[in-house]
Amino acid sequence: MPVRRAARWLAGLSVAVAALGVAASAHAQDKKIKIGVIFDLTGPLAGGGSELQYTGVKIMLDHYAKTGVEGYKVEAVYADAQSKPDIAINEAVRLLEQEKVDMVMGFFSSAQCVPVAARVDQMKKFMWITTCISSGVFDGKNYKYVFRPQAAGNQYGMMTTDFIAQYSLSKFGNEPKDLRVAIIHEDGAYGVDVAKGNEAGARKAGFNVVLKEGYSATAPDLSALVTKLKRAKPDVIFHTGYNPDITLLFRQAREQGVKFGAIVGHGAGYGVYEKLREGLGVDANYLFNTDPISIWLANQNGMDPKLPPVIKMVGEEFDKLKPGVPIRSAHVGIGAANAYVFLDDVLPRAIKKYGGVDPDALRKAALDTDIPEGGTMLGYGVKFYGEGEQYAGQNARSFPVVLQYVDDKSYVVWPKSQMQRETVLPLPAGTTYSYK
Amino acid sequence: MQSFLGIFDIYLLEAVINGILLGGVLALLALGLNLIFGVIDVTWICYAELVMIGMYGMYYLVQVFHLPYWAAAPLVILLVALLGAALHFLVIAPLLTAPPINQLLATGGVLFILQSFATVAFGIDFRNLGIRLPVLALGEMNFSYARLLSFGAALAGMIGVYLFLTRTFTGTAIRAIAQDRQIMPLMGVDPRRIYLVTSAIGGGLAGLAACLLVLQYDVHPFVGLSFGPITFLICVLGGLGNFIGGFIAAFVFAEIISLGGLFSDLEWGYVLAFAFFIVMMFIRPAGLLSRRS
Repeated sequence: MPVRRAARWLAGLSVAVAALGVAASAHAQDKKIKIGVIFDLTGPLAGGGSELQYTGVKIMLDHYAKTGVEGYKVEAVYADAQSKPDIAINEAVRLLEQEKVDMVMGFFSSAQCVPVAARVDQMKKFMWITTCISSGVFDGKNYKYVFRPQAAGNQYGMMTTDFIAQYSLSKFGNEPKDLRVAIIHEDGAYGVDVAKGNEAGARKAGFNVVLKEGYSATAPDLSALVTKLKRAKPDVIFHTGYNPDITLLFRQAREQGVKFGAIVGHGAGYGVYEKLREGLGVDANYLFNTDPISIWLANQNGMDPKLPPVIKMVGEEFDKLKPGVPIRSAHVGIGAANAYVFLDDVLPRAIKKYGGVDPDALRKAALDTDIPEGGTMLGYGVKFYGEGEQYAGQNARSFPVVLQYVDDKSYVVWPKSQMQRETVLPLPAGTTYSYK
Repeated sequence: MQSFLGIFDIYLLEAVINGILLGGVLALLALGLNLIFGVIDVTWICYAELVMIGMYGMYYLVQVFHLPYWAAAPLVILLVALLGAALHFLVIAPLLTAPPINQLLATGGVLFILQSFATVAFGIDFRNLGIRLPVLALGEMNFSYARLLSFGAALAGMIGVYLFLTRTFTGTAIRAIAQDRQIMPLMGVDPRRIYLVTSAIGGGLAGLAACLLVLQYDVHPFVGLSFGPITFLICVLGGLGNFIGGFIAAFVFAEIISLGGLFSDLEWGYVLAFAFFIVMMFIRPAGLLSRRS
């Protein structure tokens, strides 16, 4: 009898423990982080790379929506900034105030990033920028709740001038001081910032800057700028643009007979190779693009071993969404990689160490981030500048690379530590824009 | 002195000619809009979006259905002409007696509908016709055949519209309606038919512009944003409804953009053009060719 009673007690206890376990698990699953994601899904910026960045971020968020993070569900709410800064601000505020998201993520255009960052920080909410690059977002602002693992615009500008300076003598046969360079850019926050980097880099290298000019990305005609390029006869053009202004510039440059040794682009429209190929045909060959490395080109030998399977997963998901694309766009990888840093590193720490997903927990977790080089899919490490520093919130360890499109493939050609092939410089004789 | 004379080089001449060619593109765009305003007294704010639909038509006919360019172009002109007629029948006709602001808002609504329709139907990607026309080289100067074609088409379109309006019965009726809306029905002219024909011709001219612009620009749902405001300004500068005024205004505007952009930053070219527009609105509010009142 006592044995039977003991067995009954034991069974009852087991059921109670199981029930409690289920209840606890259910409670854990009730916890969630709601992330507002803002990109341009319509308007001119959508096709210029924003939609690809969104795709990368979404692939990563969909993945974590299945697994959760430290017992928290991950739920994303998406919004379209429509390629307009005012809409981006309104959507960020709407997501934070009405949709009650815990944080906002994404942002393609620097023209949106700059005002949205100010607004979100003012609201004491957390913002994780995956894409836009303007240094103006952080320069002297001392934000507390805005963080960006992505490289900054001035780094883009200086990387390209550094690249050309190193090859000035060996490839162009000129000392840097005798190399004629032109800096042209769209006149938004993004173009202006990269051009500042170009200018600083050109000064450092001692280049002869023969033209520096901005233009509106929606201008219907660039022929006056093209005529000035023709008159200035630059050896190298540093260009920052979205699309379709890039295609328009090349088309009018061909029609007006502009010749040069090289043109180096800086992300955005230059990162969407299939569009360049469609718009420029064979003239897309040998173009340069400065961007964070494509995750599919990054050297996986020196990389954290947990990352290659994630890269593979992103590639497979992208292929399902956009089958038959010749070169997987670097944009997708940038979005996915920078979202991954948050979901894999910052968020778990916020939950475990700082007890939740409120803006202060997320902020403290972000400031603790210390990923060494090779610790992200983009090759660079992550350590944010802290409070009081000039670029507080910006990743101090990020860097872009210079890519070159050769025969429908993309190769890293600079810096030397990442180099995958010898660069083709200047443009080979017989190509449309070659001055040889 | 020598540095001043230095600006009179071959590139200045090239910029002047490029300005004329850009003027051709803008004149072509302004032609249809002016015709519609002159006759129906309604401004199609969505005119550039009709051009965008025509550009998509060209892209699909040439790139997807593999029609030769010369065969696709008449089909697109017809398509946009029908679209113009449909726009009048469905949107403008019911509002003919409404205040002008209502008509303006209605065509503004159509603008957003067409942009959204294109985004949903064709996607956000930039599409390219993939036709590379040769370049006309004159010494160190080079000119685009696509722009020369636009210039020629603008000129031919202008002459064609002029002949149509002056040498045909329908054209005469259109001019008469433009002069007096109320009296013409008493003389046996059916204004509804005339408005429909005018809208179809205006649409057809937008289609013609689309066929030529698609040789120079990528098409995407928001391509109209690059042209719509400038087209409208040119029509106002030339005097809404005044073909010759619009034609001249297009070239004046284009030259200011081109030469202003050459001597200063490209952006300043546009600033100067818009400043010129504002000044002219004070001096000649009814258009460049109007008499001062």
